[in-house]
Amino acid sequence: MFWDKTTETLKGEKLNALQIRRLKQTIHQSQKVGFYKKRLTDAHVRPEDIRTVGDITRIPFTKKQDLRNGYPFGFFAVPLNKVIRIHTTSGTTGKPTVVGYTKKDLDTWADLIARNMTMVGVTKNDIFQNMVNYGMFTGGLGFHYGAEKIGMTVIPGATGNTKRQIEMIRDFGVTTIHCTPSYAMHLSEVAEDLHASLDSLKTGIFGAEPWSETMRSSLEERLGVTAFDSYGLSELFGPGVAFECPERDGLHIWHDVYLVEIINPKTGEQLGDGERGELVVTPLLKEAMPLLRYRTGDITMKMEDGCLCRRGQKIGRITGRSDDMLVIRGINVFPSQIEHVLLKIPEVGNQFMVYVDKVNHLDEMTVDVEINRDYFSGELADLARIQKKIVKELHDALELRTTVKLVEPGSLPRFEGKANRVVDQRGDEI
Amino acid sequence: MNCWDPRVEEMPQAELRQMQYKLLKSLVYRLYSFSPFYHDRMKEQNVHPDDIHALSDVEKLPFMFKRDLRDNYPDKIFTATKDDLVRYHVSSGTTGKPTVVGYTQNDLDTWTTSLARALTSLGLGRGDVIQVSYGYGLFTGGLGLHYGAERIGATVLPTSVGNTERQIELMQDLGATAIACTPSYLLHIGEVAEKMGVDLHKDTNLRTGILGAEPWTEQMRVRMEEWLGIKAYDIYGTSELSGPMFTECTEQDGFHVWSDIALVEIIDPKTGEQVAPGERGELTMTILQKEALPMIRFRIGDITRVNEEVCACGRTHPRVDRIQGRVDDMLIIRGINVFPSQVEYTLMTIPEVGQHFQIVVDRKGALDDMLVRVELNKESFSDKITDLMLIRQKVEHKLRNVLNVNANVELVEPGSLPRYEGKSKKVVDRRSL
Repeated sequence: MFWDKTTETLKGEKLNALQIRRLKQTIHQSQKVGFYKKRLTDAHVRPEDIRTVGDITRIPFTKKQDLRNGYPFGFFAVPLNKVIRIHTTSGTTGKPTVVGYTKKDLDTWADLIARNMTMVGVTKNDIFQNMVNYGMFTGGLGFHYGAEKIGMTVIPGATGNTKRQIEMIRDFGVTTIHCTPSYAMHLSEVAEDLHASLDSLKTGIFGAEPWSETMRSSLEERLGVTAFDSYGLSELFGPGVAFECPERDGLHIWHDVYLVEIINPKTGEQLGDGERGELVVTPLLKEAMPLLRYRTGDITMKMEDGCLCRRGQKIGRITGRSDDMLVIRGINVFPSQIEHVLLKIPEVGNQFMVYVDKVNHLDEMTVDVEINRDYFSGELADLARIQKKIVKELHDALELRTTVKLVEPGSLPRFEGKANRVVDQRGDEI
Repeated sequence: MNCWDPRVEEMPQAELRQMQYKLLKSLVYRLYSFSPFYHDRMKEQNVHPDDIHALSDVEKLPFMFKRDLRDNYPDKIFTATKDDLVRYHVSSGTTGKPTVVGYTQNDLDTWTTSLARALTSLGLGRGDVIQVSYGYGLFTGGLGLHYGAERIGATVLPTSVGNTERQIELMQDLGATAIACTPSYLLHIGEVAEKMGVDLHKDTNLRTGILGAEPWTEQMRVRMEEWLGIKAYDIYGTSELSGPMFTECTEQDGFHVWSDIALVEIIDPKTGEQVAPGERGELTMTILQKEALPMIRFRIGDITRVNEEVCACGRTHPRVDRIQGRVDDMLIIRGINVFPSQVEYTLMTIPEVGQHFQIVVDRKGALDDMLVRVELNKESFSDKITDLMLIRQKVEHKLRNVLNVNANVELVEPGSLPRYEGKSKKVVDRRSL
């Protein structure tokens, strides 16, 4: 099924013409942003020099750090009174990254989600339970608006209270769910414990964290759904950027809205089809916050063209990151953020270690922290207070619950070269 | 005056009533024909749609109660087909099954329009940055305000609840001009901001508070406005009505209930009769435009009164006074009716008292015993027993004068009572345990 068949199957010359037209508009829009005006000037590129899609390589990349430096409104290309929504996403340290949307941006975004959901066979007659965070996280409101655009019945379940989520699935005859794959696994286990049937479910949309084919089989069996992978990031609106079709062999990225490059993360050179590298995207329809050659940090590849569903060229499922970003329960965490938080706390020494594990299919983060002798009285109550404080500070900065263990000064490993303070013990599989 | 929809908002009252009559009549016909629930109820009450000849004939119609929704869980009262439903909200019931509310696209539009008018009446619009710090998801507060704020073209910051320090940072950095949250949460934000060294008035653009989801008082408004340097407005609604729907206008003299959306009655909870104009009683609403979950004479359970006079702002729609309490929140202490809001109002008139209090009701022998635990404000907290004694006597005296019942008062340190991000729980009634 198609939401917008002509656009979704656009290829060859027609697609190319549309892309170049929109790319020129985007570059024009970007020149309302001080950062990009200077960027192009410094690179000796005039907007009119970009005549073909290939010319885009003349423009330097945009990195997350650039967005952070522009905090809060440095990347807005429209006055604030045209911005009707702001989302924030975790930055690499301290301050978050701010993303703004005009009315048209929200429409474009909802339209993409509508395309994706229609592509996997979901229609206005479906009942959809959206079990991700609403609010500043784009996953919740993004899918909410898209599903509403299709005319589905939306249950804004958000997160938490798994028992009630199961009750609602049963009582409302929910057919379609969206959540992180780990939460879906947790849901299936709780349902099993409660002997609750999830018979009405047909479609599971899972995203916000990487997941494997093994996980897919397991989720499909336990929940009785067909499981689809969803990809997106807030800087490019949010979820909806790329999505699996019923073939479930790679994700369709919407070429009329996103100009895709795969690069070697070290050299910045473009890679060919089938070669793994970092996904770089130039969104072609963003009004409030245009971006040029945005480095997503996600590792994937362009797949061979020619999907049976007749839509455009796919990208492979995400297999990793080009930086050290961790995805914990769907939330992006940079080790630098953790360091930033810990080193602000005087009771904390200079050494820490972060361990990420899977416990009952849910990610758990444990932080071992050396205490600073100068601030430690030796009393037990004091330890408990320091620990509580660290947990709170981490929660405030990362929006994530962590387990904090305080350890003796000098007991954590020291690194001579590049410190490797993060140990991800989750492996590839569940 | 700035109006979202001036034609309707300033419509002469006679015309409004005419419009209400037409809407009521078609609603009653529709439900009699298509809703088994309302059909049966009207039969039981011996009333037929043909009996509705005037707006006042609404009194002939049967009431609907919250328990009717629970008894018909999840959707037996709904009058829209599953295909036409576009949203469910669910409010957790204190006992057993939750209350489920369904919406068609038109229902969402009506809800959003109601809030667009309301927010415009507070002077908000394009260029404002509205921080929505109500919970998002199944609770109607978050998404309701979100859609309303988006409709008027304001910039919406969907912060939801929690992580108060981050909320304050974003408020500062992104220039929020208004915040929507519970009054208790705004107090909490105020306190955390003070600890962070942020002066909400000087260091932020915050000028408007849209506060609701729990009753609060006029005295609390006076304090909050003075302390935080904002204008604080009351917003009202319940999930059964769609969600938060109505606010005060800048006159701050009762919230405007849009007559084309709802018909208001004030009912004596004991007799079920309408009270005399201007008297207090139980707020009862008939929602004139609702497709999925129609509401005829819904007994909301909130105690208030209505003012039909044209508002100084020029809007002709009736104004409902801020809620004094719930019919079922009303405490009966030794036979005397006490509303927690009366206690709050009284306490807030006493300068030595902080923003937080708690009422603990217990039974001592055969007698009800009411204890009011009161936080002092920082300036008045003192080591001198005699000072504290004097304050305590003063508080007890004032409470007795207003409530006509003796209350014991315990003064506690600033910051020692529980704080709430959502609705606060100010009453602990141990008598039933």
